[in-house]
Amino acid sequence: MFKLNLKIAWRNLWKNKFYASINITGLAIGLTAFVLLLLYVNYEESYDTWSPELKNVYQVREFHSYSAPDNKQYWQTSNESRIAALLNQNIPQITAVTKVENDWYQNYALTVKDRKSVMIKGIRNADSAFFKVMPYSFLKGNEATALSKPNSIVLKKDLALKLFGTEDIIGKTISIVRWEGDDITDFTVTGIVTEPNTPQSVSFSGIIHTGEFDKHNQNPTMHKYVEIYARLLRNADLNQLNANVQKVYINNLKTTFTNSQSSYADYLKSGNVPNCKLLPIDEAHQNPPFVAGWIKKIKPVSLIVTFLLLISIINFINLATAQSFQRAKEVGVKKVLGSSKGLLVRQFLMETGLQSLFALLICGVLIELFLPAFNQQLGLNISFWSNHKLFFILLQLFGLFLIITLLAGFYPAKVLSNYKPATVLKGTFSNSNKGLVLRNSLIVLQFVISVTLIIAIGAMQTQVNFMNQKDLGFDKSRVINISANYDEKIANDIRKVSGVQYVGATTQVIGNAFAYADKINFQGKKLNLNMVTVTMEAFPALGIKPLQGRLFSPLYKQDTVNTVVLNESAAKQLGGVVVGKQFRSYENVFQIIGVIKDYHAESFDKSIIPTIYKVTYLGGMSANGNLLVRFNSSHYQAIIGKIEGVWKKYYPNYPMNYQSLNDAFIHSLEDNSRFMNMIVIFSVISVSLSLSGLFALSTFVAKRRTKEVAVRKVLGASNMQIVNLLNKSFLHLVIAANLISWPIAYILIKKWLDGFAYRIDMPVLPFIIATITSLIIAVLTVSIQARKAAIANPVKALKYE
Amino acid sequence: MIELKNIEKYYSSKGIKHYVLRHVTTTIKQGEFVSIMGPSGAGKSTLLNILGMLEEPTYGTYEFMEEDVTRLNERKRIELYRNHIGFVFQAYHLIDEMTVYENIEAPLLYKKVGGAERASRIADLLDRFNMVAKKDLFPNQLSGGQQQLVGIARALAAQPSIILADEPTGNLQSAQAEEIMQLFQKLNKEDGITIIQVTHSEKNAQYGSRILNIADGVVKDDITLTAV
Ligand SMILES: Nc1ncnc2c1ncn2[C@@H]1O[C@H](COP(=O)(O)OP(=O)(O)OP(=O)(O)O)[C@@H](O)[C@H]1O
Ligand SMILES: [Mg+2]
Repeated sequence: MFKLNLKIAWRNLWKNKFYASINITGLAIGLTAFVLLLLYVNYEESYDTWSPELKNVYQVREFHSYSAPDNKQYWQTSNESRIAALLNQNIPQITAVTKVENDWYQNYALTVKDRKSVMIKGIRNADSAFFKVMPYSFLKGNEATALSKPNSIVLKKDLALKLFGTEDIIGKTISIVRWEGDDITDFTVTGIVTEPNTPQSVSFSGIIHTGEFDKHNQNPTMHKYVEIYARLLRNADLNQLNANVQKVYINNLKTTFTNSQSSYADYLKSGNVPNCKLLPIDEAHQNPPFVAGWIKKIKPVSLIVTFLLLISIINFINLATAQSFQRAKEVGVKKVLGSSKGLLVRQFLMETGLQSLFALLICGVLIELFLPAFNQQLGLNISFWSNHKLFFILLQLFGLFLIITLLAGFYPAKVLSNYKPATVLKGTFSNSNKGLVLRNSLIVLQFVISVTLIIAIGAMQTQVNFMNQKDLGFDKSRVINISANYDEKIANDIRKVSGVQYVGATTQVIGNAFAYADKINFQGKKLNLNMVTVTMEAFPALGIKPLQGRLFSPLYKQDTVNTVVLNESAAKQLGGVVVGKQFRSYENVFQIIGVIKDYHAESFDKSIIPTIYKVTYLGGMSANGNLLVRFNSSHYQAIIGKIEGVWKKYYPNYPMNYQSLNDAFIHSLEDNSRFMNMIVIFSVISVSLSLSGLFALSTFVAKRRTKEVAVRKVLGASNMQIVNLLNKSFLHLVIAANLISWPIAYILIKKWLDGFAYRIDMPVLPFIIATITSLIIAVLTVSIQARKAAIANPVKALKYE
Repeated sequence: MIELKNIEKYYSSKGIKHYVLRHVTTTIKQGEFVSIMGPSGAGKSTLLNILGMLEEPTYGTYEFMEEDVTRLNERKRIELYRNHIGFVFQAYHLIDEMTVYENIEAPLLYKKVGGAERASRIADLLDRFNMVAKKDLFPNQLSGGQQQLVGIARALAAQPSIILADEPTGNLQSAQAEEIMQLFQKLNKEDGITIIQVTHSEKNAQYGSRILNIADGVVKDDITLTAV
């Protein structure tokens, strides 16, 4: 029976090649998008699952505002380094704790004797306990002693091969320059670890042990921030544990106030919520500080991908039910021959299954084709066939196959198997309109999705244009940002290069912004404002002009002492006209000399924070990391070459890294433009899938109504009237879909726009364009088939009946 | 074998009942060859459909092999189709996607007849109807008469005790029609299969043993033919 049914299924597919190929291709595309999503989710889920021992490894998270871009408190991964020892001594369940330097995503210059220096990212400093906490397996070297001596380094296998070309390197030396001004330090290779088979949130290419992290920070006013990881005894009760951690942390915090003027109560009063916790390391990746975790980020994508799959399933259902009358006779006869309903349902489900299977196979090919581009777009390294979870993924695919087959096949199978033999076999059975309501609602649903996406694209494009053209408050052309600390001597030498206009430094520039808040007292008002130290030429280098008052200048002696410039937001907070007024911060008095326009130092989803700019180091915080150079011409590539010459004199062992502010700006929009690209791709696919479904369906309806069309023609209807007749049956569906789409699109776009601190008003044009476009293409699609039916010779159709 | 008592069938539209069958009461015994005749629209097909349990009477009782059909559940009815009733249609109604062989095989698959037995029965039928050479053709590659032969072979495959045929020769030329009528007669006489057919042709009716004449839903005549 199964074999016979399979044969019939195949013959039916062959007979209806056209519809079957639309079904299968559509499904394959929908599936491909879905499987890519599935792979991505699997990848993200697999973070920090590479060893069973990781179940006992925890990341320490301190709740604080230090280095938060908006000065608000977050559960941060960088913690005060003293917490490590504190927890180790006071939490009995902890067996080991390690401190690891934050990943600065910075290139370090690594040199092996007799070889060229290479720039490597992900070299991180850790204390000697690192491999006692992290269960890496050693290819070479001894896990227990690898980091016991200062100036040792453990490499991942990849880096070892890259540097040396062999794994036999224990005891060899690597010379490292970490920051541009640093001296060369030699490290001895003490181990090689294998790359785990899943990604890690504590990623590294090499762990160096300088010894600096083993020491306890003795200076109570000096804070050092590091990542901290703890290894716990098995089966720790997290809730109870964290209650204890919080207690220990707060008790310790209170003791730090005993020898300072401020009190713990004041600390609480100023809005601080001291807290610290342990987070299982496999949850660390989905809960990054400051930004949304991947689950939240992927939500809109999963929604769209699910819709895509839904659209292809809808095509499937629509074509299957539309075709069903072709199969009616078969159903009738089989029932009379003694087939039960269940057997028929199974047969039709198997036919759907066969098509899903084809779709799945094509999907397999498409995945192979698109995975590299997908990986590249998202900066991932996902593989399909060599995935270590391949079995699990195949299991998921099988589940998907079953679900799709049931979703797409069950309703048509039900409709078919319900045909009554008496009606079907009378011989007069023709166009029953079974499933017409469902079919129409599904078409509406498809178009709702498509139209909503088209509107969304329009609105997003409008917002993107707005962002591209928005006045940033500074001039991003002709400026580069060299990642280096400001050094007056080097700055002066760079100034001497012809073509260089200004050289300045600030912590507030697009691409690398850093916020630090401090208390001020303005005419009795106590405020917490962002405090940025800049150099004299920072504003001119950014092309910023004063709105009120003046900018810093070497002509004023006082400027290096206690003058400040405010941005507009800060000025507004202080009451508007502020030039000439003073405020106090701790024991220092500052004089406001000017106000500048708010300028963007971060992407548009974040609003510009009220900021005080000062040249003096008074009150702490120095400008670092961003050395801005403004040129007087836009052809500055040659000038950069000369600057590199200057650089080499000062930092011979460390190449110069720089980025133009234009690129930094584009980069800041990248997340968004990636999202936008994806929406565009998915919209195009979803619209074409919907249209192909409509096309097939209209072919079908036209065919089914051949006789009606013929009769009408004989009665004198014109071709145009016939085309209109067929169009009408679809057009009202598309109009209905548009009406439904508008409020949905409105809500979604509003939500998306709300994510931007700087955004457009709700645009109207995309709504109108989407509606017109959808109507036009729907009419065109249907008309192709309708015209065919209309110009056919009526005699043929009538004779045939 | 078949007992009809006061069978009525009507369709109501806008509250008005349109009677198709009225007070049909009759008995058909095992081994009979009955022809139902009457003008177009008289209700012949409706009666045959009721006999074949494809439609339900609005009123009356129908017993098939001593079982009350109106109380039969779906499973039981399928059982009857598999084991006792064969249908032959005016429009043949072969399954277009199946070959001649597969069409004949279908009822045997539903009846769960074993592979070897199945093959031998089909071979037998193909042989008997001279269709061996055509067994791998699809219905649309056969003439009308050949299609009807396959239709009958399919109806016989499950070795039913009764064959219900609605104008089995309605689409055929008289020579082919005659061939099929002779076949029916042979099946009736030699194998003892009960046959009920609907026909418009006086001549076809003569092959049977009894004629039910229907007009306006009422049995007008019940004539028993004596074998010549
Ligand atoms: N579903 C239905 N709804 C309403 N009336 C119906 C329905 N099916 C059949 N009829 C009516 O029942 C009557 C009998 O139909 P039936 O098909 O039994 O006639 P028939 O005797 O087989 O005619 P013919 O010789 O033309 O095949 C007809 O008048 C027909 O209009
Ligand atoms: Mg009839």
